[in-house]
Amino acid sequence: MISNLLKQFKSQTTTRKKIEVLKYDKSFRKFFIQFLFSIFMVIFLFYLISRAFSLELGFGHLSSRAGFGLSHTFIVEYTSNDSRWGAYFTGVVNTIRVSLVGIFFATLLGIVMGLARLSKNFLISKISAGYVEFLRNTPLLIQIIFWQLVLLQLPQISNALTFGGISVWSNRGILLPIISSVENGSLWVLILLLTLIASLFLRSYLHKFKEENVRIFSPNLLSVIFFLIIGIVTYFILGIDLRSDVPTLQVNEYGTYIQSGGFALTPEFAAILFALVLYTGTFITEIVRGSIQSLPIGQTEAAQALGLSTYQRITLVILPQALRSIIPPLTNQYLNLTKNSSLSVAIAYPDVFMVSRTIMNNAGHALPMLFLILITFLSLSLFISLFMNILNRRVTRIGT
Amino acid sequence: MRIVIWIKENLLGSKIDILMTLISAYFIYFIASLFLNFVFTTDWTLIQVNRKILLVGLFPEEQLWRIWTVFSIFSILISATIGYLYKLKLRNSIFYILILIIPFLIFTTMNLLVNVLIILFFSIISYSVFYYLKEKKLKITSRILLLSWLIFLPTLFFILILFGGPKVTLWGGFFVNLILAVIAILAGFPLGVFLALGRASSYQVIKLVSIIFIETFRGAPLIAWLFFAWFVLPNFLPNLFSLNDINLVIRAMIVLSLFSSAYIAEVIRGGLQSIPKGQKEAATALGLNSIQELLFIVLPQALRVVIPAIVSTFIAIFKDTSLVFILGITDLLRIGRLIPEQQQEFYGKSIETLLVVALLFWVVSIVLSQVSRSIEERLNVSK
Repeated sequence: MISNLLKQFKSQTTTRKKIEVLKYDKSFRKFFIQFLFSIFMVIFLFYLISRAFSLELGFGHLSSRAGFGLSHTFIVEYTSNDSRWGAYFTGVVNTIRVSLVGIFFATLLGIVMGLARLSKNFLISKISAGYVEFLRNTPLLIQIIFWQLVLLQLPQISNALTFGGISVWSNRGILLPIISSVENGSLWVLILLLTLIASLFLRSYLHKFKEENVRIFSPNLLSVIFFLIIGIVTYFILGIDLRSDVPTLQVNEYGTYIQSGGFALTPEFAAILFALVLYTGTFITEIVRGSIQSLPIGQTEAAQALGLSTYQRITLVILPQALRSIIPPLTNQYLNLTKNSSLSVAIAYPDVFMVSRTIMNNAGHALPMLFLILITFLSLSLFISLFMNILNRRVTRIGT
Repeated sequence: MRIVIWIKENLLGSKIDILMTLISAYFIYFIASLFLNFVFTTDWTLIQVNRKILLVGLFPEEQLWRIWTVFSIFSILISATIGYLYKLKLRNSIFYILILIIPFLIFTTMNLLVNVLIILFFSIISYSVFYYLKEKKLKITSRILLLSWLIFLPTLFFILILFGGPKVTLWGGFFVNLILAVIAILAGFPLGVFLALGRASSYQVIKLVSIIFIETFRGAPLIAWLFFAWFVLPNFLPNLFSLNDINLVIRAMIVLSLFSSAYIAEVIRGGLQSIPKGQKEAATALGLNSIQELLFIVLPQALRVVIPAIVSTFIAIFKDTSLVFILGITDLLRIGRLIPEQQQEFYGKSIETLLVVALLFWVVSIVLSQVSRSIEERLNVSK
């Protein structure tokens, strides 16, 4: 290629003709344009970097003492004496926490509402339509502030709603009863989760055996037994004693109200969670509705002709097929939800962004902090995309 | 009889259906009564008093004609475009009018009503003129339209700023949200087209730069980019013409434009991918060079397909302009939060003002989403 071009180039005598040869050669033109563009970009980049040096750079300030407390910590322990890295990490954990819980409930709500939208029942389908039209078209930030204001309208702690002593609802937050254990509780839950995953794998593995006509006892039952055995054995090994943790409200001798126990849902966390779930749920509703509507109507009719019930029709025929076109846009919504969780800065829920903002206010270094935020969100997005891609591959494999 | 059959089929199909109907009827009753009770027991004088502040903030009273001029030129241009591009259905227009009546019920004064009626009158005239011209199939119509857009868009900005216009710091209220969104889309659109073309091009360097730009802006949440505009951006702007201490509103505009361009680029990329390969081959066979091919064959078709998605992006950006609240720009949301804090007689009426703010955003978004839906339907029909 290049030698050919060179030969042509040398064979021409006048400069004008030489330029003409270059001008009409496609690969040279391509190279030339890209070369010019790169020079331009390098100059631009150089300009940006030279400007950036006038700012405070580096992450050294993150190693010093934070000096501010965070209202929400989860799993990791954090006090104001820890380093700013610790604070930042707590923020990351808080973001992941609200995103994961939000993703779970938004998906649930979206699927239910999407199915409701397609219901034959006029009222149910209109409720779903109204939900989508109202909540999708108002800004998320307004919804977050709205929920916070609503939760702060709950009665004061002195006359909190207790619902017969099982939970405490006041403007300090909502305490819900849960089952908990004194020691090793979270470890046991972790083991149970891992066992659950393992038994799911076991089930599909056994199913494969069954398909190859190996005589085997029911795979479903076997995996359930496996799960139960592991669960019970670890229960006794770890010495778990389960008890129901019912929140209580007491008044001490100074007339101060003290609430304790139960699972605490603070107004900030609840507000951001409600808003994220309801807002993202509208988009998921539309995705679910669109995907199901794009299925040929013959699928529904065939399922009806086979005598499947409505529940069977949805879970065995419609959803597995619709999932293929649901998952890619759903991934997008999950990413949006994660990014949108940074709006909790408006109501002081200490997520990544809120913590970074506090650090920026205390110690400057805006550019490195913003860079850190970018990296954090990019890697969170990457994890979600990876997970959803794996899921997508599994789903699209069914039935092929 | 028909009604009875309809009710039997749609509400009382089976036993479960009857149960569902009862539950949802109660649910609707519950929500409706809660809402109506709230609306009719609340004293809405707070909106009547703060009408102007909610809509335009601290914009000086004697300068309001600037906003009116911009608003009227803009609506005349838009109705002309609608008249040229597509036929309004009667049902849809009634819907738009019904929805748009809501804010007028809240905000109207005599003065405002007269102005709005005049603007409406001229918009309808321009709509019918361009509709008529389209029916006549005059070629010059599209050129007139394009030219008037090109001339008027910069003019709108000049009307707002030049010849003793109020400082940008005085901009506020719903006006700021609208103008931020409009500027973000108008400036983001051409950049988005370039980015989409760059991402689809075979020039590896250009492709790489486009991908990095798009993914960086899509990677972090908008609020982080707004903070970038607040703290860092002035350092990156050149020192010429005191560009490096421009107002926060303008900086937010810059960042919003870049942000929306990344999203628009992805939308347009989808449109580019939807063009069949045969179109490009046919263009090559006709002897068009690559620029002609792009301008006359690929882009017109791709842009046509993505119009609904661009409208959706506009809605998203428009809703996102409420985030400038966090920067301290006096946009609609900020004013809505400040009124119950600073005006003693309305102390504590946060939820009421917030709902009015939400209503304004909702009205604009729902009308636009209906527009996008009807364009989409039309595109599907013409396929």
